[in-house]
Amino acid sequence: MFSLRRILLVAVGLASLITAKSSSGDSVLVVVEPKRQDDFSIFYQGLKDQGYDLTFRGPKDEKPLIAEYDEVAFAHVVIFASETKNFAADITPQSLVEILKLKTNLIIALSTKQTPLSLLAPEFSLILPPPGTPLITYFPKRAEPASLIPITPTQQDATNILSKTIKDGRPIWFSGVPQALGTNPQLVPILHAPPESFGAEIDGGSPDAIVDSADKGGEGLWAGSQLSVVTGFQTAENSRVTWVGSVELFSDELAQKVDANGVKSGNAQFALDVAAWTFQESLVLRIDKVEHHRVNETEPRELYTNNDELVFNAYISQFNAKQGVWVPYSGINDLQLEFTMLDPHIRTALPPVRGVPGKYSVTFRAPDRHGVFKFIIDHKRRGWTHLQSSVTVPVVPPRHDGYPRFLSAAWPYYAGAISTSVAFFLFSAIWLGGEVKESAKRPGKAAKAE
Amino acid sequence: MAPKSSPANSATAVNAFHTLWKAYHDNTSDRLKFIDSFLVFLMLSGIVQFVYCVLVSNFPYNAFLAGFSSTVGQFVLAASLRSQVNPDNKNEFKEVSPERAFADFALGSIVLHFFVYNFLG
Repeated sequence: MFSLRRILLVAVGLASLITAKSSSGDSVLVVVEPKRQDDFSIFYQGLKDQGYDLTFRGPKDEKPLIAEYDEVAFAHVVIFASETKNFAADITPQSLVEILKLKTNLIIALSTKQTPLSLLAPEFSLILPPPGTPLITYFPKRAEPASLIPITPTQQDATNILSKTIKDGRPIWFSGVPQALGTNPQLVPILHAPPESFGAEIDGGSPDAIVDSADKGGEGLWAGSQLSVVTGFQTAENSRVTWVGSVELFSDELAQKVDANGVKSGNAQFALDVAAWTFQESLVLRIDKVEHHRVNETEPRELYTNNDELVFNAYISQFNAKQGVWVPYSGINDLQLEFTMLDPHIRTALPPVRGVPGKYSVTFRAPDRHGVFKFIIDHKRRGWTHLQSSVTVPVVPPRHDGYPRFLSAAWPYYAGAISTSVAFFLFSAIWLGGEVKESAKRPGKAAKAE
Repeated sequence: MAPKSSPANSATAVNAFHTLWKAYHDNTSDRLKFIDSFLVFLMLSGIVQFVYCVLVSNFPYNAFLAGFSSTVGQFVLAASLRSQVNPDNKNEFKEVSPERAFADFALGSIVLHFFVYNFLG
């Protein structure tokens, strides 16, 4: 018995070793220039260790197709061909947006050259500097060129995505274009530029061009820590796309770099953290199920009545990439429930239930309105999967016999009616009783008692 | 019913009411006095309910209507009974014997109470 259990455990362990570590599939297409394909082997090896299947394709190759007949062949697509101007017919900005809609995740590398992909970036609220304008900084003083910048993640960056990188405490070497960020709330800035850095025209750009476009865009110059160098974007379908300012970030050269003080580069871990977020490994939540019923009942009703006390439960899981399983997650402290008919009539906190992992529950009174209501969870937090759920229930007025029957305020009326009846019966009894007596002595006056 | 005293001219007014009361007391048969006391009770009950409705709450309005109309209806039925059994009205109700009048009264009251209790809750 014991050994059987052990065998089972080993089998499960083996199975979990070979299963996908992403919640949305493990096939990855890497679009990369054939001559640069070997420059990123450390990154590829990291992905393979995680359990991903990599397929390589040159930017001009016709096969394998990313999507055919609205069916996407890969769960994730990495586009490292950052300087390519002409892609095969099926890699266009439009087709990339299409596969994002079909829940495929993307990592897209940018460069200082103008390409179809750099023209797509503004659609994701990223404002790129004009061509030939990489990020440079002269701080800290170092032997490397000014455009090769060590960046240490700060609290401003996406600490929940980069937790492993931050724990290592190593600098991330970056050399590429920065992105100014629009106001789109779906943007997830992963790594910001250092405060002393700025975009400069050292790579064939002209000073006039950068000043012109800074005026035109109204963004000011591309400078300072509000710039992002690696930016995520989570779509309405919860697919994720990460824009990286430079493909060099993933290269073996920078991954193995050791600076003058002997500190190793954090690029390899950073690349894996970014891939983990983009490929739906980290910060992935889902609503397993929602329940609603009246207080003291367990089954949902087809109809609820005005002023019913309602219980709403949601069960939420987080994806655990280590084991490749969904585990109940009680860590959301600001979840809200809305009970909506056109407008939210009730908006209330949906707190986690102590002692039941993953369960969130709230009890509230249905409003004194009838109509078609919805229980709505709409939880959007930067970096996390958007949680959305909507359950429609009708709320009806009480039936004719659903109102309270006898009210204390009406006791005088009840007493009046009852006393009238009692008096009627007494009156009749005495009248009839008296009739006999009176007929006996009708000649005289009838003696009657009341 | 107690005679009321008029503040303006109390002597003659008290006198008149006294005379009226005495005449009623002497000339009305006990049977009619019995009906009259029933009528007074119904009237007081109806007044109490109406005052409660005005001052406190008419909230379960059906209950007010039921309670109040039961007193009013019972009053009307009892008043009819009184006029039919009054020996002075014999010429008016030649074909209605006192027994028949009471049967009508009883039947009417039972129907009235049936409706009242249906409407009450």
